Amino acid sequence: MYIPRSILILLVVIYLLFLLSVDWINQADGAWYRPFLVGFLVVIVASWAHREQDSDEL
Amino acid sequence: MNYDLTTVAGLGSGYLALLFGIAFITERGWIPAKIVHHPIVYVLSLGVFASVWAYYTSVGNALRDGYGYLAQSIGISLAFLFSPLLLRPILELTRTYQLSSLADLMAFRYRSPWAGTATTLVILIAVTPLIALQISAVADTAEILSPEAGHGSMAFGFCVIITLFAILFGTSRRAGRTQHDGLVMAIAFESLVKLIAFLSVGAFAIFGGFGGMEGLQLWLQDQPQLIDSLKETDYLSSFHVMALLFFTAAVAMPHMFYATFNQNNGQRGLSFASWGLPLYFLLLSLPVLPILWAGLQSGSQVQVEYFPVVIGVAYQAPFFTLLAYLGGLSAASGLIIVITLALSNMCLNHLILPIYQPTAKHDIYRWLLWKRRFLITALIWSGFLFHYLPSDRISLQVIGTVSFTAGLQFLPGIVAMLYWPQANKKGFISGLLAGVLIWLMFLMLPMISGSGSLSLVAISWREVTAFSLLANCLLFVVVSLRSSTTDAERSSAEICTLDTIKRRKRSGLVAKSPNDFIKSLSKPLGDRTANREVTQALKDLNISDDDRRPYAMRLLRGRLEANLSGLLGPSIAREIIDSYLPYSIVSQYGSSDLNVIENRIEAYRSNLSGMAADLDSLRRYHRQILLDLPLGVCSLSSDNEIVIWNRALEEFTQINAADVIGSQLADLPEPWLSLLENFVNEDANHSYKTNFDLSGHKKSVNLHKALIEKRSDQGSSHEGVIVLLEDITEMEILEAGLTHSERLASIGRLAAGVAHEIGNPITGIACLAQTIRDEFESDELQNLAAQIIEQTNRTSKILQALVNFAHAGANKTHYEHEIVVISDCMEEAKTLISLDTKSKDLQFQLECDPEAKILGDSQRLLQVLVNLINNARDASPIDGKISLQARIEGDQVRIAITDEGIGIPAVIRDRIFDPFFTTKEAGEGTGLGLSLVFSIVEDLDGDIDIISPANKINHTGTQVILRFPCYHDESESNTGTENQQANMQQAV
Repeated sequence: MYIPRSILILLVVIYLLFLLSVDWINQADGAWYRPFLVGFLVVIVASWAHREQDSDEL
Repeated sequence: MNYDLTTVAGLGSGYLALLFGIAFITERGWIPAKIVHHPIVYVLSLGVFASVWAYYTSVGNALRDGYGYLAQSIGISLAFLFSPLLLRPILELTRTYQLSSLADLMAFRYRSPWAGTATTLVILIAVTPLIALQISAVADTAEILSPEAGHGSMAFGFCVIITLFAILFGTSRRAGRTQHDGLVMAIAFESLVKLIAFLSVGAFAIFGGFGGMEGLQLWLQDQPQLIDSLKETDYLSSFHVMALLFFTAAVAMPHMFYATFNQNNGQRGLSFASWGLPLYFLLLSLPVLPILWAGLQSGSQVQVEYFPVVIGVAYQAPFFTLLAYLGGLSAASGLIIVITLALSNMCLNHLILPIYQPTAKHDIYRWLLWKRRFLITALIWSGFLFHYLPSDRISLQVIGTVSFTAGLQFLPGIVAMLYWPQANKKGFISGLLAGVLIWLMFLMLPMISGSGSLSLVAISWREVTAFSLLANCLLFVVVSLRSSTTDAERSSAEICTLDTIKRRKRSGLVAKSPNDFIKSLSKPLGDRTANREVTQALKDLNISDDDRRPYAMRLLRGRLEANLSGLLGPSIAREIIDSYLPYSIVSQYGSSDLNVIENRIEAYRSNLSGMAADLDSLRRYHRQILLDLPLGVCSLSSDNEIVIWNRALEEFTQINAADVIGSQLADLPEPWLSLLENFVNEDANHSYKTNFDLSGHKKSVNLHKALIEKRSDQGSSHEGVIVLLEDITEMEILEAGLTHSERLASIGRLAAGVAHEIGNPITGIACLAQTIRDEFESDELQNLAAQIIEQTNRTSKILQALVNFAHAGANKTHYEHEIVVISDCMEEAKTLISLDTKSKDLQFQLECDPEAKILGDSQRLLQVLVNLINNARDASPIDGKISLQARIEGDQVRIAITDEGIGIPAVIRDRIFDPFFTTKEAGEGTGLGLSLVFSIVEDLDGDIDIISPANKINHTGTQVILRFPCYHDESESNTGTENQQANMQQAV
């Protein structure tokens, strides 16, 4: 099965972000929109991972 | 704050009319295609997934589960973030085989109409509550805004308008075949309206409800229980199950399947959506909490789910109420339209067509269109009826959850489709039925019966979901492993499985041409439909309608199956194709369609990495060697199909590779057919100097062949033959020339030897004749002696010419190197020729540049000129004119001798310089004159050219052109006086 490298990187980034941000999000005095900041970060990394691959050269 | 019915109904109708308008102008092409097919439009059209569930239910979920309400967004986002794992391969399959729904996909993979039927039935049962949910939400919100309207009448009116819209634009063209651009634009617009409305209401909640972010923060500080419930982690227990539901829904739910795969404009769109859709859902989730809190602050008694509509009323901002209502209307209408379109296709292909198929007499397209319209209507109105069914108003969340849980039952089938080739239809159907049965008993029936909770006994929804999925998976795996799998299933599994590049078998078809295809398909489809489908398939493949290559015919068959699959579903399409376009010979092992495999690898190249990429580079390198080899290479499969036809062979045969690759050897034109077929069939592996005739020209080739060894003991004795073809025509000509020259040289040496040996007795004879002439007085004897002397003189001349020819070139070193004035030389030659009585009736025209000089031997040049003028004289008619010209051309002196004779026939033009070649009568010439001329001219560093006919109008005459390096006397050019002095000295 072929999985592009960038997708594997995305997987690792999402997992690490999840681990690192759970406590930060659930802090009692934390802002309610913190999960969304993490979400935007994931979208930015995803937009990089799914950028168009123009070159077909190996 | 209440609104009158007219405002609410008018707003709803006006908005839907606007959608009509957008779809209409898109269909008319008034919106540029660049915009219509932009990935942003595709992403927005995928926003159809954000139905009433995301719009209204998420507010209630946020109150109950805190951040758990994000499960929907996270589930669907994960499916798109990791699209290469699931969505991308499915997209490839659906596009290649024109599969328009999950039922098509399952029927295709598991090679069973039952798989498609079971899928359709389950989805039909699962999504009817979802349609009812949308209708219910629209009617509820309308009722909140205008209590006088009445729930039932609003639901009825909404269904009428939505039915019209779905029919008009959803089935305006053949579904499954063309993209419904108008529908896509309308759905994308709806998603945009939904997002803007929700974000605006969220912003209003913060700034209108709390006076800004600080106000919201202060209010929250006074509501610790809200913050606690938001951040408590209890929801995590069901969070991942919920996320899994929505992850699966990205493929299993018919509206998502339809939007993702049917309206897709390629991999680019999916790449964009892979991060675009998560962003959309992130933005849509953002306002949920502020809306919830603003609603709670207002103290509204309305159901929490409808807070987006309520807060405008509560805070005296009617605009935001109406905006929120429009957003909700968008969410509901978008989902209903797409889901009913998708379901109508599924029902038609998997429930109706397997039972009843229109005959060839029907207009199939029209028949399908009307059936689809009927189904759309039936589906929307069954949703309408269903929303009355639950005895009490069951929470929107419950209805949605039950619906999406049914979709989860397809997860094992979908994953196995891509990653488990051993899975079979029996396993899939048994697993699906087991899972659905549990779902039906413990979730669906309790909901319909109005128990209000999600289970009959004390089992939570999460446990029911887990049990159903577990039972599904277990049965699927066990039955698949213990039951037999058909060849057809195995073949489909290979196509669908990612690890395997499809090995399409290279089999012969009964139908040999596109016309045969049309004739065969006319029986089930009718003339018009068959003609249209075959023409469309040919157009899709860019194959001409007179192509008869087996390779092209196999491609055409595959494309037809895919196109018919989009029209009638994969089961019916396969049945028609298998019955009416059967294979004549099914090839065995080693007969894979290499060209197809190669094309697929080429298309897949950008996805290759690591060792696969290295192997592909190696493959391309070896292929390039074969293609660029200066020898003709033709590779044949075991059943004599042409696999490789390289460039050298293209040039030699003037047959394009694209025209012959994939065709049978027997389809080659003559003489190649006989040449290759005879050679392939004979035992010898090499054939040298095989001659054949090509367009009147003799060609000669060397042929070599080798059998491609088989890779296993199965099947035929070899996998094919590779034939090398070497064009040796040029070499043959050169060899023949060389042999001829060698032979002539031998004759020349022999002749010289003979001449020398004959010369002595001839001299003796001449002496004796002279003695007779001098010693005897008899007139008769003297006369005879004179004749003998004349004949011996003649013989001596011939012998001298022979000796001269034999010695020509050999004694080049003895040539004089003197300045030869061409005009003098030509004058002398003319004088010598004029002495001969044969020349008395001819006119000589001499035009010589006195400055034309060369460095060489004047006697040799004279010999050349005399020979050439003699030939011109012999060829000229009585009173003919012979022109002698000499002039300087750049660094060369050009001498031209032109006659008005009959010219030299083309057939002998190449041979006139050959020794002993003559057209004169026997005894008239030796055939050595021009050979000698050629040798001398070469020795003098010149060249000779013959133009015949010289007169292009009359086609008469011959012109011999000699070119020699011009001699420039530097002292002459410097001083004219020295030149004069030299002339004077010469005169003295």
